[in-house]
Amino acid sequence: MNAVNKPAPHWDPYDQQYFANPYPAWSRLREEAPLYYNEQYDFYAVSRYEDVERGLFDRDTFISGKGGILEMIKQNVPIPPGVFIFEDPPLHTMHRSLLTRVFTPKKMNALEPQIRAFCAKALDPLVAGGRFNFIDNLGSEMPLRVIGMLLGIPEEDLKSVQHRVNENLRTEPGKASDYSEHSFVGEGYEDYLDWRMKNPSDDLMTELLNAEFVDETGTNRKLTRDEILIFINILAGAGNETTNRLIGWTGKVLAEHPDQRRQIYENRALIPQAIEELLRFEPPGPSVGRYVAKDTEFHGQKVPAGSAILFLVGAANRDERKFTNGEAFDIHRARVPHLTFGYGFHACLGNALARIEGRIALDEILNRFPEWHCDLDNAYLSSTSTVRGWETLPAYTPKAGKAPVSIGAAIAKDNAPSGEKWKLLLKTPMGPQEMIMTLTRDGASFSGRIESPMGSEAVNGGKIEGEKLSWVMEVTKPAKLKVTFDVTQSGETMTGTAKLGMFGKAALTGKRV
Amino acid sequence: MPQITYIEFNGTPHRLDVEPGLTLMHGARDNNIPGIAADCGGACVCGTCHVYIDEAWRERIGGRTAIESATIEFSNEVAPHSRLACQITITDALDGLVVRLPESQ
Ligand code: HEM
Ligand code: FES
Repeated sequence: MNAVNKPAPHWDPYDQQYFANPYPAWSRLREEAPLYYNEQYDFYAVSRYEDVERGLFDRDTFISGKGGILEMIKQNVPIPPGVFIFEDPPLHTMHRSLLTRVFTPKKMNALEPQIRAFCAKALDPLVAGGRFNFIDNLGSEMPLRVIGMLLGIPEEDLKSVQHRVNENLRTEPGKASDYSEHSFVGEGYEDYLDWRMKNPSDDLMTELLNAEFVDETGTNRKLTRDEILIFINILAGAGNETTNRLIGWTGKVLAEHPDQRRQIYENRALIPQAIEELLRFEPPGPSVGRYVAKDTEFHGQKVPAGSAILFLVGAANRDERKFTNGEAFDIHRARVPHLTFGYGFHACLGNALARIEGRIALDEILNRFPEWHCDLDNAYLSSTSTVRGWETLPAYTPKAGKAPVSIGAAIAKDNAPSGEKWKLLLKTPMGPQEMIMTLTRDGASFSGRIESPMGSEAVNGGKIEGEKLSWVMEVTKPAKLKVTFDVTQSGETMTGTAKLGMFGKAALTGKRV
Repeated sequence: MPQITYIEFNGTPHRLDVEPGLTLMHGARDNNIPGIAADCGGACVCGTCHVYIDEAWRERIGGRTAIESATIEFSNEVAPHSRLACQITITDALDGLVVRLPESQ
């Protein structure tokens, strides 16, 4: 092959061109650059199964203590004790073992009736209409309710708690360091914990309140309030978004493989292996990051101490060396373990819960909707450093057909020619950030406001040049930052970038609402 | 090299020489003995390397470590003589060890 004609393989975790389908790029990394170095963001990545497995098992060389997300590792965010997902021994071992007993497959399987009930409640009202949304109706509902039930949070309060937690999770890790410790504390859960201290029950909060352990000083003690809050925050953070994405991928991938879907519909005993194949094929968290604590090598090339490295689980899961015909979706393939739940000492603690949730969700969907199509024109895919999957995924049965454009919404839009409302999604390195922008056009300029979990901010210097819009927004939280937006509008959608001060650029997409 | 016998649930025995220093789990996994999954690779977090220690060897093998006790709750059909194979290091003293594998991991 003529090397001159072929550019070196490339993959950029922040570039939108790779979001929808990163697999061709990963396939080239696997074959041509098994140790890949990205100069622009200064990180290494390995993509072969064997290398990902080796790296994730070697916790002395590849440590978690500086974070598991590229930006955290690079920005050296301090991590408070208790955030065991980002800890190394001995603290990691100590903290994780406190939770081990809570997430056993036996205990998780016992939740089946409640999980089924949550699915029924979410889906039953939609059966008659024949239209449902894998994310809005199920993925963003059920896992949250299950974790809430485990923790003992009253159902009616869950959404508001989740909102506060998301604010934290999404905006925190990359912010200026004097705020960063804040992100891990279970804000939003304090009131419940204080209440539980006075009203013990049989939930996880009570269990954590009573748990005794030997700490790093050799003292036998109970967990502090802050430690429990951190644990709760990790569980809610690690378990909801990821399982939500699994449910989205279930909808998308099975719609594209109707034959296999029919087989599962007819033989529900295939569900566990179907979920394993979905987890392999589209892992909700396609990469796991580590800090390189000492010099090491992959394929004879050096990786110096102090580097950041990404283990590309999503690439390893399709490595032909391990999976025959790895790029194909096949629920009947021989059982070879995928790496979607990680590997080694930090392997996912909640995998039994995620699996049972995924299996029940699929079963309950099939009970009500044996066949569906996805409305991809109105679906929305996002990819961040931690999760890749659908933010919204509308679907419809063949009989119901696609949802028509809502007449009400069309009239409302016609009647308000000057006041436009846009839903923007900013893919910050720390996670997706949703915002609502209202804008009023005035010739070549416009004014407006942006509402986001960070607050409400005015739009400054709004300029319109044909299809191009630009504006500036000053935010004070999480850090004082000037955000410069440049977007191109085409009809009802816009795409572009936002420059986040010194934190670099983030991709932006918007939809008129 | 110490000789170890792994007996599948259906009764099929596998007699192997396992290098001292490796774990009982690696001995099985590296030789593709059916019935040991070892999903976490020996980190003692998955419970899928569950074995039953044959009666004659129980005392010599000893009890579970603290972490193993927590993780073994991930395994199926746990008995008093259940151990996680990744937590047992092969030594010359274990020559002749016999372990049985559970129905499923
Ligand atoms: C499909 C859904 C899920 C996926 C794909 C997933 C994936 C992962 C991965 C890849 C890791 C390893 C991270 C690393 O090595 O740095 C991990 C760790 C973890 N996961 Fe999950 N997870 C899922 C669901 C859940 C659920 C439902 C829970 C709990 C409620 C959970 C709790 C955790 C915790 C606590 C850790 C940290 C373990 C440690 O560091 O020792 N996860 N998960
Ligand atoms: S291999 Fe996972 S616990 Fe032994």
